[in-house]
Amino acid sequence: MNVQPSQTVKGKDRYKSGVMEYRKMGYWEPDYEPKDTDVIACFRVTPQDGVDPIEASAAVAGESSTATWTVVWTDRLTATEKYRAKCYRVDPVPGTEGQYFAYIAYDLDLFEPGSISNLTASIIGNVFGFKPLKALRLEDMRLPLAYVKTFQGPATGIVVERERLDKFGRPLLGATVKPKLGLSGRNYGRVVYEALKGGLDFTKDDENINSQPFMHWRERFLYCMEAVAKAEAATGEIKGTYLNVTAATMEDMYERAEFAKELGSCIVMIDLVIGYTAIQSMAKWARRNDMILHLHRAGHSTYTRQKAHGVSFRVIAKWMRLAGVDHIHAGTVVGKLEGDPATTRGYYDICREDFNPMRLEHGVFFDQPWASLNKLMPVASGGIHAGQMHQLLDLLGEDVVLQFGGGTIGHPAGIAAGATANRVALEAMIFARNAGRDYVNEGPTILAEAARSCTPLRQALDVWGDVTFNYASTDQLDFVPTPSVAG
Amino acid sequence: MRVTQGCFSFLPDLTDDDILTQVQYALEKGWAVNLEFTDDPHPRNTYWEMWGLPMFDLHDAKGVLMELEACRKLHGDKYIRLSAFDSSHGWESVRISFLVNRPPHEDGFRLERIAGPGRTQRYEIRGYGLDRPEGARYR
Amino acid sequence: MNDAARDTAAPTVSLAAEYAASGVGPVLQQLDDELVGLAPVKQRIREIAALLLVDRVRAKFGLASEPPTLHMSFTGNPGTGKTTVARRMAEILFKLGYVRRGHLVAVTRDDLVGQYIGHTAPKTKEVLKKAMGGVLFIDEAYYLYRQENERDYGQESIEILLQVMENNRDDLVVILAGYADKMDQFFRSNPGFRSRVAHHIDFPDYTDANLLEIGEKMLAGLSYRLSESARAALTQYIPARRAQPLFANARSIRNALDRARLRQANRLFSEGDQALTLERLTTIEEADIRASRVFGQSPGA
Repeated sequence: MNVQPSQTVKGKDRYKSGVMEYRKMGYWEPDYEPKDTDVIACFRVTPQDGVDPIEASAAVAGESSTATWTVVWTDRLTATEKYRAKCYRVDPVPGTEGQYFAYIAYDLDLFEPGSISNLTASIIGNVFGFKPLKALRLEDMRLPLAYVKTFQGPATGIVVERERLDKFGRPLLGATVKPKLGLSGRNYGRVVYEALKGGLDFTKDDENINSQPFMHWRERFLYCMEAVAKAEAATGEIKGTYLNVTAATMEDMYERAEFAKELGSCIVMIDLVIGYTAIQSMAKWARRNDMILHLHRAGHSTYTRQKAHGVSFRVIAKWMRLAGVDHIHAGTVVGKLEGDPATTRGYYDICREDFNPMRLEHGVFFDQPWASLNKLMPVASGGIHAGQMHQLLDLLGEDVVLQFGGGTIGHPAGIAAGATANRVALEAMIFARNAGRDYVNEGPTILAEAARSCTPLRQALDVWGDVTFNYASTDQLDFVPTPSVAG
Repeated sequence: MRVTQGCFSFLPDLTDDDILTQVQYALEKGWAVNLEFTDDPHPRNTYWEMWGLPMFDLHDAKGVLMELEACRKLHGDKYIRLSAFDSSHGWESVRISFLVNRPPHEDGFRLERIAGPGRTQRYEIRGYGLDRPEGARYR
Repeated sequence: MNDAARDTAAPTVSLAAEYAASGVGPVLQQLDDELVGLAPVKQRIREIAALLLVDRVRAKFGLASEPPTLHMSFTGNPGTGKTTVARRMAEILFKLGYVRRGHLVAVTRDDLVGQYIGHTAPKTKEVLKKAMGGVLFIDEAYYLYRQENERDYGQESIEILLQVMENNRDDLVVILAGYADKMDQFFRSNPGFRSRVAHHIDFPDYTDANLLEIGEKMLAGLSYRLSESARAALTQYIPARRAQPLFANARSIRNALDRARLRQANRLFSEGDQALTLERLTTIEEADIRASRVFGQSPGA
């Protein structure tokens, strides 16, 4: 698109009372070169019909930083040029009429150190409801090294989690207890025991298992820990169950987390809906108490799934790595929930790498340094089963928790058999990969071979072997492999 | 009872040829391979006895197997585990670990419960073998 | 075996095709190119490669064949190319499938034998573990055995080596190297080694002409050349150096040329006011060679 030069009004005219276009107030600076310490955001802007995209993008910069709808003289009491966010680049979205990628730089002083709430209050505060925009989506952010360093990061991290669990060289295995609702504590613990004894490393509370009439939280915790201890004795392996401590208030959550610790649990769990401040509080608590912190991304699809409006999950993943959780659900590609392979790969890289290079083909818009912050273990959950093991390993790698809920509990020969089927399939696939076999293409053969000495796996393959969820993704990437020069 | 620690405990016990494939994988990644043995496989027993130092700079898995054979000669009645260390920044820990020897009979563990306040229990896992003195546990 | 071969009643195998498929050709060519002279050595290496290739083909016909013993001894004076040839040998064995990795681990007594009791076995095993899948090259192997001291720790190392050479024939190849006379003595005293070494290769000293060619190749590799008069000086230098003690063939030439490069650099500094042309930067002059002590000690040479 035509690059409009800066139209910033200088001198005393800039602060004359009245309404002025955002691009004239200094929020459009095409010559600006972002500093290493700037926070940078990339928004997908859809202006209302007739609104100039540059003006719309400048308005986003203004509304997410210093501006209000009219000129205010009190700006002149501040170093306003520094605090103004600067939109420095606007590109049309390839192949999509009426949408634009706007790049906006924010000075580091705009943000409180170590506070996701403060960061998000600026970047996704008022601006998403701004009338001149039809829709607005935060696609990605570059968090400068200087800001990353002000965060704790994952309380435990992938490496230490593995050391504590004494489990290396393969994905971890989990299952969410089903049915989600209605089991009594005693019945619930049965599922946990069977699954762990059968070969899983973890079981998991679902996001809406808190403290309900059918099972109060203490019942669940007590029976679950009986199950964990018994499974550890039966296998000689360390086991865990994510006890969901999500509750109405921080006080309640701390009480539940403390009780989980007293009972000897190695892991607790929270839901994304508790909010960023509560998440950071729990991350600090987890670090203080040697606890792994699992985050269920409950609610995220309300704002991550639609392409034109909301916040991309890759940004949520970045915030959560800063905030300090140890596990985060990040998609399965092959399962029942949203996510195409390239975009999901981008999420996984954000969780697990120490440096993310810009990779538009994975939806990663910026180089992102992580300053040796711990790595965040992605969790793949929802509609996956043992017959997909080769694809899961290929797409998601080794440092991931594979959660087979239905794929464990729905096994025709019982929960323990379901767990064994998954574990055997996984170990056989890892072995084959390490031994140099073409495991992606030979996957079904490798599984069939392993099933010869493992009846539960044979049964699992018979029941689910052909189940797939092939639907078009609603959030595919917009990029052209060789970026065209913006004319 | 079968202790299921390590990466391949749910597969049939690995043959020496199987072990060679996995060791070669580790060597080609540039990891140092280490052998450890114990007669106390409690899940929280982190520090098994080292069989010499981790083996650095090897090209071929057979070198590791030589040491494993020697270790089995002396400790064939115990658990032996093989692990590989990755020294690269950001990991600096074990990358893969699996059992390469088990005692002829695995005693398993007893779960002790001690009543705590309210309905809580304190759990303790004890290896049955630990009732016998060190060195005589799996004979 | 390919399908075509399987289908015919009397199977045939093309030796040329096997040879091409093995990739040994380029390694032999490289040996030819990088090493001056050494015709008898190259001939022996070719013979060994041919033998191993034929062995492999015989195995495809199902003909009885013992896994060949591949341990070797390389005898010759220092600087005659033994280590370089060993490195190529490792590659050849790898290409023919007689070792799995094809690397070379070069050691001497100090790497194998310890200083105190209980030190030797771990040291020797450490070396053996690193050599697995490749070639273990033991230079001046006879120092492992000290006739005058029967409690020498070298004996322990020898026993471990012999055991591995016998039991792990598929896993590594050992090449023992050193002076011919000392090696003969060593084999006489250690029949265990003698019986396990199948190929003896003798490395002759280089001729004066060989050494001159080697010297010019070394310099060319470093982007230097000899002026006409420097070349004449080096031609005189070689027999003079040979007549002196501790002569080490190609190694002595390398050392002499290293010193000549040092003198050239010094000379360029002392002539500092002249323009530095590419010509001057790359040329070794007669004076750079003549300043050697070798000439000082035998001025007429």
